Amino acid sequence: MQERMVHLDESIGLRKLVLYRDVVLTEAGETPVQPVRQASIAAVIRNPWVGTGPSADLSMEQGRIAPVLAKLLTDRLIASLGGVDEIESFGKAAIVGTAGEIEHAGALIHTPYFGNLVREFLQGESIICFADTRAGAGETLVVPLWHKTHASTRSHYQTISARVSDAPRADEIVVIAAASTGPRPHPRIGDRMTDPAVTTKTLEVVPS
Amino acid sequence: MNVRKIVTVVEEIRTEGGRAIDHPARVAVVSAVIENPWAGQGFIEDLNPGIDANASDLGALLAPAVLDALDAPAEAYGKAAIVGLDGEIEHGSALIHTLKFGDHFRKAANATTLLPAVEKRGPAGVVFDIPLKHITDATIRSHHQTIEVRIGDAPHPNEIVIALAAAAQGRPQQRLAPLSTEQ
Repeated sequence: MQERMVHLDESIGLRKLVLYRDVVLTEAGETPVQPVRQASIAAVIRNPWVGTGPSADLSMEQGRIAPVLAKLLTDRLIASLGGVDEIESFGKAAIVGTAGEIEHAGALIHTPYFGNLVREFLQGESIICFADTRAGAGETLVVPLWHKTHASTRSHYQTISARVSDAPRADEIVVIAAASTGPRPHPRIGDRMTDPAVTTKTLEVVPS
Repeated sequence: MNVRKIVTVVEEIRTEGGRAIDHPARVAVVSAVIENPWAGQGFIEDLNPGIDANASDLGALLAPAVLDALDAPAEAYGKAAIVGLDGEIEHGSALIHTLKFGDHFRKAANATTLLPAVEKRGPAGVVFDIPLKHITDATIRSHHQTIEVRIGDAPHPNEIVIALAAAAQGRPQQRLAPLSTEQ
């Protein structure tokens, strides 16, 4: 077991994992009808493409590393939120260090080797919403979440922030998966089913 | 006690200084974001009623939660009180610098030493560092360590963040000579 873990760590250059979980008990002074837990899990790994230049082919490393991250991160998310059936919304994100390209962050989260597997492990159907950036260590990234099977469900549009105090170093990438067990604390802005048809013609005051 | 939310942070370090660590180094922090019990009341001379009404409940809430998040016996620990901008640092100190608060953690972790602490005042999203020391001997150098925490939307001006931190081991790759070698 120990040997397998060391092998996994070395194979993807894993330095650390950071879990952030937020449980809202009251919001605006009132208890939400559905108390919601949100969590993000961040893995700090060595950027396998540092120094390779913009013409480098990213496919081999993304196919090797991204599935390992998808499994590692979703296992931790599921454990921290009480089981996969509890999870209603999901999102993903990456922060690439300053010696890398934003394309390197994208390579690890925007291909089927990560996205399809995260969706499968979290038993979702929706496309997974995301954030990515290049930044120094300690950057806070706001990760968007939406419903895992009905992406347009407005009550589930929400965000959680992820931050690792000492990562990414210039030659690292922080890869993040995030989820929540329900909607915003007091959702009350309607939905596509209840919206009126809004166009410039239907409004009495048209912005100009 | 009005708790707005509970925030859990768990760090697990797998390599440090470019070398793998024998066992992943785990540190956990659980924070309760609460309404400042003295908010909006002007200068309160006697803080004891507020301490009696809250400190023990906070200790009872956070101590089992942080040990659960750590998922291992604690070897080092620490605490924090981060007061929103309309409060006094004394309000945060009042809630954590009392045996009513700390004894819950000491008892749950089989610990004996005083809990090292950070107290500060700041806006929502302020970064704070919690110092940790060994749970039975505060001179054990290998276990002196710190964990950094930030909660994006807390504390509000009328809130206090109260936190407990626990580590399952000393620093990753700790290799300093013990204090006794210098005495």
